[in-house]
Amino acid sequence: MRIVIDVLIVLSIFFAFAGVVGLLRMPDTFCRMQSSTNVTTFGVLFVLIGGFLYALFYLHNGEMMVKCVILAVFYFVTSPIAGHAIAQAAYLHGVRSEKKMACDAYGEDLKKGPPQPQSAEEPAAEAAPAQDETAKEESET
Amino acid sequence: MKKANGAAVVSTMIVCYIFWLLVTGQIVEFFYGEASWQILAAGLIVSFAVALFSARFFIHDDTFFLANPIHILKLIGYCFGTFMIELAKANIDMAKRAFSPKLPANSGIVKVPVNLDKEYAQAMLANSITLTPGTITMDMAEDGNGQLYYYIHWIDVASQDPEEAGEMIKGTLEKGIGGIWK
Repeated sequence: MRIVIDVLIVLSIFFAFAGVVGLLRMPDTFCRMQSSTNVTTFGVLFVLIGGFLYALFYLHNGEMMVKCVILAVFYFVTSPIAGHAIAQAAYLHGVRSEKKMACDAYGEDLKKGPPQPQSAEEPAAEAAPAQDETAKEESET
Repeated sequence: MKKANGAAVVSTMIVCYIFWLLVTGQIVEFFYGEASWQILAAGLIVSFAVALFSARFFIHDDTFFLANPIHILKLIGYCFGTFMIELAKANIDMAKRAFSPKLPANSGIVKVPVNLDKEYAQAMLANSITLTPGTITMDMAEDGNGQLYYYIHWIDVASQDPEEAGEMIKGTLEKGIGGIWK
């Protein structure tokens, strides 16, 4: 059992290392964020599983097992939300890659909308259901 | 913002109370029969107060959806089955990318159509995509016809066609989530 725990923790260290190497080598902000998800998924997951098994077989500590599970649940529920927020805020603030992107659908759609980038999505999101309602009314009449 | 109804407050309170029991370690004492009822009652009151203020942010429809054990089993099956396989594939791919000397990065933002109606399903799909290394959901928007789109930053743009890119990024994930939240 000790070997399994050690293998899990070494795997976790490997993925965290890969993530950090990517973080330092990637060319622009968004690619760096992509690489950092390597750390935040398998890096965290394996070390928590290893800690869970260690608490189960060596420490016999129920509280610590439960805390490993809770940490994993909360971590996996909350960390992507920070990912969305940082990526979107960076884009709207004007961070762009030095190389040209292969395609940029988000920028094209922002240009089509109102000129202020911050308020571009909310009117569009609100306008869409309104149009639907008018369309339904027309079809009913 | 919708007003919270009673059932939403109750279900939020139950979830808060369970998490409070787990985090403070009361559940262990509870099993050994050492927990004092005063502490348990205090936790219940505090979780009710928290639920009263926060229920309207969490629960909008289908209050007791997770009270059905079949749904919980499906959710666990998705988390440890479908999602883990995708996660493993993407993690290994991303680790290779980081260590390769040429640093292959052909990044771009693609617009992908999504066919899920429930709010929870949409949130869960967006979070699953962000957790997968190589893709980050940046924003969601609806077009005039009510079709929902995600804007996804993708590190290796293999296809710029929305349907084909969507199939490559989230094909299996969307099927799994659509099976849970019907």
